[in-house]
Amino acid sequence: MNKIIVTLISLFTSLSAFADSVVKSNPWSLSTYLPPEDISVNGHLIDYLFNYTTYFNIFFFVLVCLGLIGFSWMYRAKNHPKPYYTYGNKKSHILVATAIGLFVFLTVDMNITRISNNDYVGVFTNWPNAKKEQVLKVEVLAQQWAWSFRYAGKDGVFNTEDDVVSLNDLRLPTGKKIVFQLQSKDVIHSFFIANTRRKVDAIPGRITRMWFELKDGTAGDYEIACAEMCGTYHYRMAAKLKVYPQEKFDRWMTEAEEKAKQENDADNAELFWGWPWSSNSNVSMMKK
Amino acid sequence: MAFYEQHIHPKPTTFLSKYIFSFDHKMIARQFIWYGILGLGLGGMMAMLIRWTLSNPGVPFPVLGNLFFPMSGGVVPPDSYAMLFTMHGTIMIFYAITPLLIGAFGNFCIPLMIGARDMAFPAMNMLSFWLAVLSAIILVASLFVPLGAAASGWTAYPTLSTLIGSPGVGQTLWAIAIFVLGISSTMGAINYITTVITLRAPGMGYFDMPLTVWGLWLTAILNAIFLPVLGAGGLLLVFDRVFGTQFFLAGAAATNGTGDPVLFQHVFWIFGHPEVYILILPAWGMVSDILSFFSRKPAFGAKATALAMTSITILSTLVYGHHMYTTQMSPLLTQTFMTLTMTISIPSAIFFANWLGTLWRGSIRFTSPMVFSMGVVFVFGLGGLTGLYLGTVTTDLYLHDTYFVVGHFHYTMAASVLLGSFAAIYFWFPKMFGKMLCEKLALTHFWITFLGLNGVFMGMMMVGYGGMHRRIYNPFIYEYLEKLIPLNALITTAALLMGIGQIPFLINLVSTLFFKKEMAPDNPWEVGTLEWTIPTPAPHYNFKNIPVVKCGPHEFGNPNLTTGRDFQYQTEELVKG
Amino acid sequence: MNTLEVKNNIQYSGEGEKLAASIAMIVVLVSFSMLFASLFLAYFYYRITEPVWPPMGMERLNLFVPTMSTTFIILSSISLFGFNHYFKEANQLKMKLTLALTIGPALAFMGSQLFLWESFKNIGLYASSGIFPSIIYSFTWIHVAHIVAAIFSLLWLVPISLKSEHTFKDENVVLNVGKFWHFLSIIWLIIYFSIFVF
Repeated sequence: MNKIIVTLISLFTSLSAFADSVVKSNPWSLSTYLPPEDISVNGHLIDYLFNYTTYFNIFFFVLVCLGLIGFSWMYRAKNHPKPYYTYGNKKSHILVATAIGLFVFLTVDMNITRISNNDYVGVFTNWPNAKKEQVLKVEVLAQQWAWSFRYAGKDGVFNTEDDVVSLNDLRLPTGKKIVFQLQSKDVIHSFFIANTRRKVDAIPGRITRMWFELKDGTAGDYEIACAEMCGTYHYRMAAKLKVYPQEKFDRWMTEAEEKAKQENDADNAELFWGWPWSSNSNVSMMKK
Repeated sequence: MAFYEQHIHPKPTTFLSKYIFSFDHKMIARQFIWYGILGLGLGGMMAMLIRWTLSNPGVPFPVLGNLFFPMSGGVVPPDSYAMLFTMHGTIMIFYAITPLLIGAFGNFCIPLMIGARDMAFPAMNMLSFWLAVLSAIILVASLFVPLGAAASGWTAYPTLSTLIGSPGVGQTLWAIAIFVLGISSTMGAINYITTVITLRAPGMGYFDMPLTVWGLWLTAILNAIFLPVLGAGGLLLVFDRVFGTQFFLAGAAATNGTGDPVLFQHVFWIFGHPEVYILILPAWGMVSDILSFFSRKPAFGAKATALAMTSITILSTLVYGHHMYTTQMSPLLTQTFMTLTMTISIPSAIFFANWLGTLWRGSIRFTSPMVFSMGVVFVFGLGGLTGLYLGTVTTDLYLHDTYFVVGHFHYTMAASVLLGSFAAIYFWFPKMFGKMLCEKLALTHFWITFLGLNGVFMGMMMVGYGGMHRRIYNPFIYEYLEKLIPLNALITTAALLMGIGQIPFLINLVSTLFFKKEMAPDNPWEVGTLEWTIPTPAPHYNFKNIPVVKCGPHEFGNPNLTTGRDFQYQTEELVKG
Repeated sequence: MNTLEVKNNIQYSGEGEKLAASIAMIVVLVSFSMLFASLFLAYFYYRITEPVWPPMGMERLNLFVPTMSTTFIILSSISLFGFNHYFKEANQLKMKLTLALTIGPALAFMGSQLFLWESFKNIGLYASSGIFPSIIYSFTWIHVAHIVAAIFSLLWLVPISLKSEHTFKDENVVLNVGKFWHFLSIIWLIIYFSIFVF
């Protein structure tokens, strides 16, 4: 009896909490069902392609539904007792089927492929050149179930004593290209920032990379998630992303560098989990 | 063409030889049906637990929670949650859909539809079923070992699936169970391929085979080729776990490791992408047939449909890389896989054109198999089109490993295949068991299931688009996902609806099998393929005389027919005007 | 019933069964080839991505034992060809002789594999000592598992070689066991050349 009451109470509290969340989530607003705010300079490319694909998909799916429902209505046995005897092998039939196939392929697929290809090669894998422009480099180490971040510090060299290291707390400036190199300590993780529409796997034994630039005026707090199943507490593998305007970031960085100089213990081997920045244009394997 | 005629074996008499270790393909098909329905039930229960956790994290599962999770007061704990979704995926793919469509209907339809007395190798057929049972026993046993069952997802990516990520023996048992099941399915595949090549009735060319047989045959070919690839990956994984080899351990802490975890992903998806088509091809074939059967006109472009299925079979082996975009392959590989993936839409579009062409100017009878088949066209349309987002690399960067992927593959692999299986069950049930299922209950079953599954999977795609990633126990520790709580609750409600929708099916099944007295006529659907030329239920030797095939499987509505029927049997000379 | 009584060209000579069996055998071999192909894919993947091979300062292996294994299995395969030939001629004496010459080297091959693993252990090479020994051990394990199955199927030929009259079923057995054994010889040759020699 007690159990039933406890269950009922817990059900009730969860229901009221649920009602609360419904009100808070604003179910009638479209933005509830859209991805979180895009804070990266190139994220709109992905949103654009998504919408582009969606329009075509809706068009074709409506066609399918029209056929399915329309024919069902028009040619139901009661209404249309004598079927049209055809194998669909008349020239006109073959032509129509082929035309539909080609139309889908040429209008949708090839367009999407072309756009995606251009974006991928021209933007997402077009790695910023550190020699030509200002780039912020960050090393990311994934492990069960936390993210560690490492900035090169004053000397610009990774895995040295003056590196700024943080756990689950990534701070980035707006208006500057940021390049990440990732590795994992144990299992495969995936570095996912929904607000920039980007993710990349962190894999033990090899370095993967990602870059983006944050838009001006996007300063604020965001979240980083692990998107690849990585064990029991996969769901808790979250990190905070704090976006600062450029000047504020520089100020913070100077402070953090000072602090790092004082606090980093050179004898602590665990501090030096970083790796030399790999300039290889391709994914490089870490071999011992 | 038939290369030889099988002898009529004496009827089995003992209980053991008739019901347990039966060589008869129809009995093995029935065994597989029960096996598959059990699997569906188990996997469905797990889905319920998963859904409950996602919409009500931290709340005890009603009624049964205390039974399953006494330690946590009925709340699904996070480690059990990981086991649940791993097992849900594994069971649904390998122990529910595979036995239902390929095991049961492959076994039942192939010999009957091509006019053979049995499979080419009946003993191997029986062995295939019992190996599948052995595999299921291993898998279920893995739920009860210390540290619990496998918990690294059905994809079992190393290094999570090696000793680094899952030290328990459950993961090893999982790999062994899949390996044994692979042997079982390969045996089945060998049987199917050989049977179709050598035992077609005289007069039956490849294009005179019903499209169902085409689908099953292509599936068998894919199975025979690609299951061993999974077998190899599974073996290496087992070696890594048991004998301490170093295939997938690179760079991970506490190993001296060379080797590379990404290799497993390559091997897994070389198998895994064809697997998607392994599951859907039989359903495509059946749907193509059933649409024609109940539109009472020949299948539109049947030859093109068969060829499109074949070309998809071939293409499916070349596109697996689109599952691995986020592992950052070289850009050239990425582009190649993207372009190849896109070409799949040509044969798919031809399918849809042909399916709609079949309905066009037909005389449609809305029987339960027909309604389920039209459901397949609908959900596969959605599933196929949403694949475009995931085949394109840039949108995949955002959508990969989110619920959008989950929604997409449930539409293609779960929704279409499930509806296809139900269509098949309703359609062949009279020939299998000798009685007709109740049509009214079947239609109720359809509408509830259809509404439920669209709610679930559409909802999943929406939360995925909102940024909710996969396989998380409690999404709402992320602030940006909080707005999706009501939607998640809605999905759970829809899932519950879908679960409830199976009750009419079970009632129908039980009441028809055990309480209905009225036997079905020999040809209740008025269809001309070979299995309907024999008595209902099919006698143990199938065909007293091997039939001679004289026309295609979809001869409906021929205006020159004078037999008083609107169809003709495949054994009849094609009536020409 | 519309099944027509026709005089069809189906005969009970066993030709059809034979064809079915050989089609099935081809499918089996395709399956096994895919298993080994995946293993070789793994091997080449590792080999290409390693900067040096064998990795981690390991030395190349002594070729003596693997070469012995190769000799045994080639010998056995050739004898099996002979057996097949004399089976067609129904020459019972030579059948027995060639079968002995098949099974003998087959067992010797097994022995040489055991010896190979023993010799690895003696130089401190274990499955867990790195990717190179992992590959060698796993591939030979999987191959030997098939060899064991194949030796059992070779034993199936023993009663056939003792009979003077042969049915088409015997013919099937001889043909398909032969295919399987030759297939495993080829796999060993690929392992030998790609992993041990080069």
